[in-house]
Amino acid sequence: MLSNPLIETKDLRKVYTSGTVETPALRGIDLELIKGEFTAIAGPSGSGKSTLLHLLGGLDRPTSGDILLEGKALSTLSKDELARLRLTNIGFVFQAYNLIPVLTVLENTAFVLELQGIVRSERIARARAILSELGIEQYANQYPNRISGGQQQRVAVARAVIATPAIVLADEPTANLDTATSLDLIDLMRRLNTERGATFLFATHDSRLLGRVSRLVTIVDGLIASDEEQQDIKSAP
Amino acid sequence: MLAVLIPVYTLVVMFGFAGGNLRDMFDTATRIDTGHIQIRHVAEKGAGAALPLIQDPAKIIAALDQTEGIEWDTIRLDLPALVSVGDRSQTILVQGVVPEEIDPISPMRGLITDGRYLQNTDDGVVIGEELAGLLKVGVGSEIVILGAHPETGLSVLRVPVIGIYNAPTTEMGRMVVQTPLAVARRLANSQSAATAVVVRVKGVTGPWDVGRIEHVEAQLRDKLPAQYEVLDWRELAPQVASYMRIMKPALFIFAAIFFALGGLVVLNTLYLSVMERTRELGLVISLGASRWRVIRMILTEAGLLAGMGAAYGALGGVILIWIVEAFGGFPLPGAAIAFAKAVGMNSVLHLRVTVSQVVLSAAAMAGIAIIAAWYPALRAAKLEPVEAMRYVE
Repeated sequence: MLSNPLIETKDLRKVYTSGTVETPALRGIDLELIKGEFTAIAGPSGSGKSTLLHLLGGLDRPTSGDILLEGKALSTLSKDELARLRLTNIGFVFQAYNLIPVLTVLENTAFVLELQGIVRSERIARARAILSELGIEQYANQYPNRISGGQQQRVAVARAVIATPAIVLADEPTANLDTATSLDLIDLMRRLNTERGATFLFATHDSRLLGRVSRLVTIVDGLIASDEEQQDIKSAP
Repeated sequence: MLAVLIPVYTLVVMFGFAGGNLRDMFDTATRIDTGHIQIRHVAEKGAGAALPLIQDPAKIIAALDQTEGIEWDTIRLDLPALVSVGDRSQTILVQGVVPEEIDPISPMRGLITDGRYLQNTDDGVVIGEELAGLLKVGVGSEIVILGAHPETGLSVLRVPVIGIYNAPTTEMGRMVVQTPLAVARRLANSQSAATAVVVRVKGVTGPWDVGRIEHVEAQLRDKLPAQYEVLDWRELAPQVASYMRIMKPALFIFAAIFFALGGLVVLNTLYLSVMERTRELGLVISLGASRWRVIRMILTEAGLLAGMGAAYGALGGVILIWIVEAFGGFPLPGAAIAFAKAVGMNSVLHLRVTVSQVVLSAAAMAGIAIIAAWYPALRAAKLEPVEAMRYVE
């Protein structure tokens, strides 16, 4: 579909096995994403959205097929090489925020940089800058349980983009948020997409989010049912 | 942290008790009787276990003067004899000593309960309460001592009892009669005889300083003629040395048990901690932490907890020992007092622990804790991120 894809999947399949029972989650996904896209993968529960995101993020391995990230096949990478790839190329935003409870907002935000071995002063400076950009600098020294769900998810977004990854994968990022907070978060990510050129891929069935993405891929029963460019993108009221 | 703190604390206190016990036994043996080293004549013992006589101890004293590391020395003349009062008699060991020099290896001066201790010029004896009871004598009573050393023949002394002592052991109180060296030499029919030159070595505080004693022993063996043998406290008090030889492996076994238990508790604690934090660790892995990074995280945490536990445990043990000593030592319970008296030990145990014992206990336990942390760390590193983040406790 597009030249020089950032991520490309080829006949991607994933089957979960429990004893003798095999449950296919993905049944042959061919997908290309290019840099700078703001894409949602939609579909009903159990359609394979999260599984696809986990495979694209190198968190899990496919049963067959392959994933190419900037031309590099993930199937050829060892566990540690995959970890390195996640650290440098992929940002994650999870449904349950998944902040580390014993670290402050600032430390959570800077955690990825710490894993990258960046010196403390630079970590702190970059974390403060991104928190400021996302409007949550005042919570820098708070622990996650002291701030709201929406603020926690903003911190998760800050953590995901701080290392300027090639792509941010967000799994149901608005599922636990009220409407106003969800719309704020979506617009925040949209702003990061347009201003920083960050590539976003969401797994969601949140209709509030679906109208705000530039591309909508729908999965049903582990197969792509539709793949549409959206011209009329809604923005915050 | 407690998993490390408690074993280290217990070990330090155990070493304190063991060290105090060893020092007490060593002191008892070397101060009451043997000194650190004795120089004797090599000839076979005579009848009645009489020690062979040294006829010219001045040569030995001269050799001692040229030897490094000697704190103190004195001449002693030990003679088996028979004491008699009326129709009562008892075999005894007459110890001819220099009263003004004898304190470093004899507690006798402090044990006198009636009369007084000897002076160099006295022509009398001090005897134990047990012997006084057997002979039915008191201070001022005259006793007859019959000497029969195989090298010098029969001799008889009639001397007064100057003092009566409360012996640390019943056997000593019944057997040991002290008298000035000159009086004992009359019993040996010799103006210069001795049976041993007793030596104390500088800087020896317990059996752990055996190296200093061996250093002096080696010098003396080089300097002294072949007819003299140099015996150290282990040869002079073999039962004490045997006890100490048994104590060392026993302590080692106890320490090993504590270390093993501590290691297992650490392993279990960290394993549970890893299980409890499966989701958190899954998140860390999903964000890009390598396996080695996860292992390092767990080991660093274990190292910090183990280090703090070891430090606090060691400090707690040392403080307890310090408090016990500040209150005058650890009084032995009733049954142990009788045993302690029977073997010549004090009824109060003074705890003693060395810096190396404290440091080694703490370091070994901390090291074992870190080794024990490897298994949970490896388990954490092998977590699959997706499964770990789905994990529900």
